[in-house]
Amino acid sequence: MNPLPPDWQQTFERYNDAITRRQFFRQSGTGLGAAALAALLGNRALGADAAAGAPAPWKIAPKAKRAIYISLIGAPSQLELFDYKPHLQTRFKEDLKDWLAGQGERLTGMTSRQAAFPLAPSIFKFAQHGQSGAWISELLPWTAKMADDICIIRSMKTDAINHEPANQLVYTGSMQNGKASIGSWLSYGLGTLNQDLPAFVVLHAKHSSPFSNVQAISSRLWGAGFLPGKHAGVSFRPQGDPVLYLNDAPGVPRELRRRMLDGLDELNRRSYAAIGDPEIQTRTQQYEMAFRMQASIPELADLSKEPESTYALYGDEARNRGTFASSALMARRLVERGVRFVQIFHRGWDQHGTLPRDIASQCKDVDQACYGLVQDLKQRGLLDDTLVIWGGEFGRTVYCQGTLTETNYGRDHHPRCFSIWMAGGGIKGGVVHGETDEMSYNIVKDPVHIRDLHATILHQMGIDHDRMSFKFQGLDQRLTGVLPAKVVKGILA
Amino acid sequence: MRSSLELKERRTWRWLLCLAGGSVAAAAEPTFYAARVAPVLDRHCVVCHGPEKKKAGLRLDSFDHLMAGAESGSIVKPGDVKGSELHRRITLPATDEEVMPSDGKPSLSADEIKIIALWIEAGASPTKSLADFPTAPALRPARVAPVPLAPSWREKAAEIAALEKKFGVKLVPRSQVPTDGLVLRSASAPQRCNDQVLAGLAPVARFIVDAELARTPVTDAGLKALGSWENLRAIDLTRTKVTSAGLAALSGLKHLEVINLTDTAVDDAGVTTLRALPGLKRAWLFGSKATVTQYPVATAP
Ligand code: HEC
Repeated sequence: MNPLPPDWQQTFERYNDAITRRQFFRQSGTGLGAAALAALLGNRALGADAAAGAPAPWKIAPKAKRAIYISLIGAPSQLELFDYKPHLQTRFKEDLKDWLAGQGERLTGMTSRQAAFPLAPSIFKFAQHGQSGAWISELLPWTAKMADDICIIRSMKTDAINHEPANQLVYTGSMQNGKASIGSWLSYGLGTLNQDLPAFVVLHAKHSSPFSNVQAISSRLWGAGFLPGKHAGVSFRPQGDPVLYLNDAPGVPRELRRRMLDGLDELNRRSYAAIGDPEIQTRTQQYEMAFRMQASIPELADLSKEPESTYALYGDEARNRGTFASSALMARRLVERGVRFVQIFHRGWDQHGTLPRDIASQCKDVDQACYGLVQDLKQRGLLDDTLVIWGGEFGRTVYCQGTLTETNYGRDHHPRCFSIWMAGGGIKGGVVHGETDEMSYNIVKDPVHIRDLHATILHQMGIDHDRMSFKFQGLDQRLTGVLPAKVVKGILA
Repeated sequence: MRSSLELKERRTWRWLLCLAGGSVAAAAEPTFYAARVAPVLDRHCVVCHGPEKKKAGLRLDSFDHLMAGAESGSIVKPGDVKGSELHRRITLPATDEEVMPSDGKPSLSADEIKIIALWIEAGASPTKSLADFPTAPALRPARVAPVPLAPSWREKAAEIAALEKKFGVKLVPRSQVPTDGLVLRSASAPQRCNDQVLAGLAPVARFIVDAELARTPVTDAGLKALGSWENLRAIDLTRTKVTSAGLAALSGLKHLEVINLTDTAVDDAGVTTLRALPGLKRAWLFGSKATVTQYPVATAP
């Protein structure tokens, strides 16, 4: 190799230096600091911490001990589900080209070259439900039945117009790669409730329609980013055993396995002491978690004791592993056993064309099971301290993408407003929060940015979003980032 | 349970200073300006319109400054609510670029807006007293004193840690406020948290406000021990062997608010026992032998 030019050589040396320094700092940051932090509540180091003057993030007693995030990947259309705009019916096919020009919004490459932007009123019927009189579409008859249990937010907004950045913003607080996901922050900030199960479990639910336009998602959405790796979400397999290799290999009794792990642990401890790479710790913890899950998972996954009434509630599809309904049931079983954060991903909501057909089948996949989950949590006394969140990554346009007919249309991505719902965990039921304009285009009342949603989730879990941070790349990283975020007080019980 | 407001100490100070008079002469009876108007401006506006930052050349930290107005002129027209820039700015939709407070800070409550409006309508007086505004709403207190749920566990930290270790359970603070109490957490090894363990936790029981005992081998004998945990707010006994007979032991728990008896053998006799608990808000009885799945059922008994 040619020698580097002198200034480069210097840079290179500095870089090397920095790596070693970083490992040193990481060692104090991760080996002790962060471990202490996650276990802090458990170990009552709180007094010491406050005395040292460091702002601790647990100012508030939590309303929610756990949370379930139902992630509809692809972005469900607010116009078809919760954001009722009856006046648009008379404006079928009106060209919005000039009106849009005045909105100053970036359109995606998928529709920006359309010659016309015909207004597409929703073809689905809406009715008012519950004491609150919330407008809910006929596509969600089961959700409508629990209108008084949920809080519908019609004024969500985001900064992204494409799926991956938008999903990263929702699930990690930033459009950039490498940030920590919501569940990993909760694991880091609150620790686990049950040491035999991961604090953060991810379930991937199948969608049933063969036509759905499906977006790929990556493990970035449930990764730990800059946080220690042990906080990353653990994905359960949708088929077969939720976790592989639950049984010990033939000829390896559990006792032997334990001794092997103890030996390995000792070796890892030594190399950690020597090098201080936090990944060594992560690995050790993963081995230990795997060992404990060998005992905890079979009981968790054994549905034989679920009574028939369970399937009546969640729907028959809950009998089939990997469906959304079975994931919803699994989510209940997980939180019951002390998993802090469960995330269910259901893909296929990206309806650029043939929206009516595809959204109907997507809704059918999730509607009854969402109702079942909320009602099941409620009857078991778990809803009061379990926060449930249902939502996608952005909204969809009022104008049609592609050909508009009386019965068929598509909608493009729309970041300025979309609808989600929340339930339980100290959120007021029977509330409709926020309002959009007549076109469901701009928010006219009570906007809620993704950051505000994050601040609210953390607040309900007993964490001050401003104070929970992790130093990385010279910045005190937070889920809510550096821009102002506020707890949505109006929806708190 | 309780959640504390997140207002900063500083604000309380300013509030007190306002009460003490500001530029308005402190009378025996507080003026409406000092008692109502100033605290509102102080809470929402003075960060940007005060001695440090004077956005638009406007200060709102005293009566004189308020009436002096901004670079562009006065913002209060005594007697003319609609014509006062001050009122217009605080009643714009949250999405309007000119709305105050700006930068997405929480907008004024309906009560706070009403206070400003009443005051302008009555002539924007620096001297009118509180009594001159009988219809004016009260202000939300700047800080609600935290209600202690239990005595502070701090001095007992070592003993608590030792008991955790001995019994294989966790005793976790609910928040960094030590009087928010501890949660008894058994989910990692529910089978270990039996009646003997509950009896053994007696020395630290007064700190425990929430006992998570789902799926533990706890029986009616364990409820006897729980009966003396005076600060308990919540008990989860899901899928345990407790019965209606055992619930009688809880009759002294005057703070108990929530009890979860899902999937237990508790029947209507147990529900009758629970009715006598003065603080009880909810009992969960799904999968039990009781004829109701929840108590109180929808409306209070
Ligand atoms: C985050 C900072 C901030 C806060 C908080 C804030 N303001 Fe302002 N205010 C500004 C800025 C910047 C301007 C100048 C831009 C404009 O006129 O909109 C302004 C302008 C004004 C004006 C217009 C002055 C003129 O030129 O006529 C009024 C009136 C006003 N603010 C009132 C208030 C009131 C009342 C509150 C509290 C309810 C408040 N502001 C809180 C930043 C703030």
